[in-house]
Amino acid sequence: MLDLLKNITLENDNIPALASLRQKGKAAFKGLPTLKDEPYKYTNIQSVITPQMFSQKPHDCGHEHCTCHETCLDFAAHEFHFCGGRLHEHFHFIEGLEISSLKEALSTHEATPYIGKFDIEAFPLAALNTALLDEGLFIRISKPLDKPLALIYNNKEGVTANIRNLIVLEKGAKAEMIEIFEGTSTPYLTNIVSEISIAKGASLLHCKLQNEGQNAVHIAFSNVLVKSQGEYQSYLLSKGAKLSRCETRVLLKEENAKATVNVAYCVNDEQTADITTNIAHLSPFTASNQIIRGVMDDNAHGVFQGKIHIAPDAQKTEGHQQHKALLLSSNARVDVKPELEIFADDVKCSHGTTSGDLNAEELFYLKSRGIDEKEARKILTTAFLNTAFEEIENQNIKAFLENAL
Amino acid sequence: MMNNVLLDIQNLSAGVTGKEIIKNFNLAIKEGEVHVIMGPNGAGKSTLSHVLTGKPGYEVTKGNISFKGKNLLEMSPEDRANEGLFLIMQYPVAIEGVSFMTFLKYALNAKRKYLGQTELSAPEFLKVIRDESIKLGISQEMLKRAVNVGFSGGEKKRMETLQMALLKPNLAILDEADSGLDIDALKIVASGINDLRDGKRALLIITHHQDLLEYIVPDFVHVFADGHIIKTGDKNLALELEAKGYTDFIKEAQC
Repeated sequence: MLDLLKNITLENDNIPALASLRQKGKAAFKGLPTLKDEPYKYTNIQSVITPQMFSQKPHDCGHEHCTCHETCLDFAAHEFHFCGGRLHEHFHFIEGLEISSLKEALSTHEATPYIGKFDIEAFPLAALNTALLDEGLFIRISKPLDKPLALIYNNKEGVTANIRNLIVLEKGAKAEMIEIFEGTSTPYLTNIVSEISIAKGASLLHCKLQNEGQNAVHIAFSNVLVKSQGEYQSYLLSKGAKLSRCETRVLLKEENAKATVNVAYCVNDEQTADITTNIAHLSPFTASNQIIRGVMDDNAHGVFQGKIHIAPDAQKTEGHQQHKALLLSSNARVDVKPELEIFADDVKCSHGTTSGDLNAEELFYLKSRGIDEKEARKILTTAFLNTAFEEIENQNIKAFLENAL
Repeated sequence: MMNNVLLDIQNLSAGVTGKEIIKNFNLAIKEGEVHVIMGPNGAGKSTLSHVLTGKPGYEVTKGNISFKGKNLLEMSPEDRANEGLFLIMQYPVAIEGVSFMTFLKYALNAKRKYLGQTELSAPEFLKVIRDESIKLGISQEMLKRAVNVGFSGGEKKRMETLQMALLKPNLAILDEADSGLDIDALKIVASGINDLRDGKRALLIITHHQDLLEYIVPDFVHVFADGHIIKTGDKNLALELEAKGYTDFIKEAQC
């Protein structure tokens, strides 16, 4: 895999900030994680990432015949498209928003304070992302926006879409964002890192649909910093890809910072979905809540690793986590590792995890009203997953995720 | 004109694995008739409703059941429902995340599909629901809530009655439909049920006391003990039963 990195030539090495970040990434990347690495012990990433996924340079498909521009949304949004790992740079003026490509923002040093704000040594795939740093968006929001932002990714065979997005919410800003990941049925890799910074009193609703092609690998890492009275709300539906790992790390850095990290994942056949969360309460009066629901059918494999960390002086904090999994076949399995790491004494924390089959009484109730077995199972699994999205305030986005189930 | 036999239970023995609860049970219900099965708590009356609706976990060891001339025991629970059998449950199940509105739409369209009819459009469906729910004092807010989640006993039974009104079964089975109801709720449920009596639709009421029978007048009252019917009479039998108590009544009947 290290050899593979050697064969990749990247453009824009003339941008000093970009070149130096790539160097750091190369130094930190010691190869793909294996099952022996604790954070990856349930998810065999090495076995699914192949050299073939690096065989094509990121390339866009030429505008005329490209369908990736066509919106898949039934509501108005400011849309930005990535196709074959490339960003379509068509920016227009949006009140309250500053947007540019990552390259542009690095060459002007606008992006410098917001990039690489985590220890890349601890996140091998984010290190790889840094080594291959090229494409991405720099988004700075200073006022409440009139419409949600929609980031739509369409990847294709043999391409590694290596994307780094920086999303900055300034004091008092409010934004809603939905990301949609799709692609060909042939193998490719998406490796995306999002660095999100939420200033005092700002809030971000961050929704995501991971619906990658059936032979794709989807790796996502979000690093989110929340300052006083800031709020981060994340809702993820992960259903595509042969293997996916969606890792969310939230640092509640100042008093009254809040986070919601809800996830619904549903996989079948030979799919693997890994959901990893790490919420760090670093100041008093911070609050977090996680509702995670997973459905596994056939030979599918689910992984949930959720950590709540409460720092010694983070008194009066609340951290809650609830994970429930449905195993619809005898070959489906789920690995769960919840962790509470509490160093303060005056806190309210809870976590719970269950796994099982559909409730037989509920199933019979539906059938006794004439609904057939298949439909009844669908109603119940959909309802089960939907619990993760109940609190989404934007009804358009909520309906979009619910309909994608 | 003679009404047809709707449900015909012959020599039925059934129960849970290893335990026979219903023994040599016989009952025929014709269109338009109201039958009541009364018996003490724990006598296995509910087993009969479970066997009729096809609930998993119950085993039929002997006998036949025909419904509208078809072999009921060979049908799936959903086909039994769509064929026209409806059970008002003693303890309706709560389902998180599914609104009553959604649930009713699926149920109604499942029956229409079974009967080869087209699905209702959204406005048609809303109109049907509104008309029926007003009669039962069910608010729009209740319909938006998740199925039976946080509903009182009375509210649950009203929602069961609404489902029955929408699905228009040929035979409705009321399994202890009056348990947990105060007098007002009982009246609403009873009037909802009476509204559905059209001379064709039949009712099988399973109960251990006769409160509901003050509002729904039965044609036949059967006393259930030891797995089968030990005595059949008219509505006066229910009063006699209530006056004597089950223990003495059953003792007398078995002498």
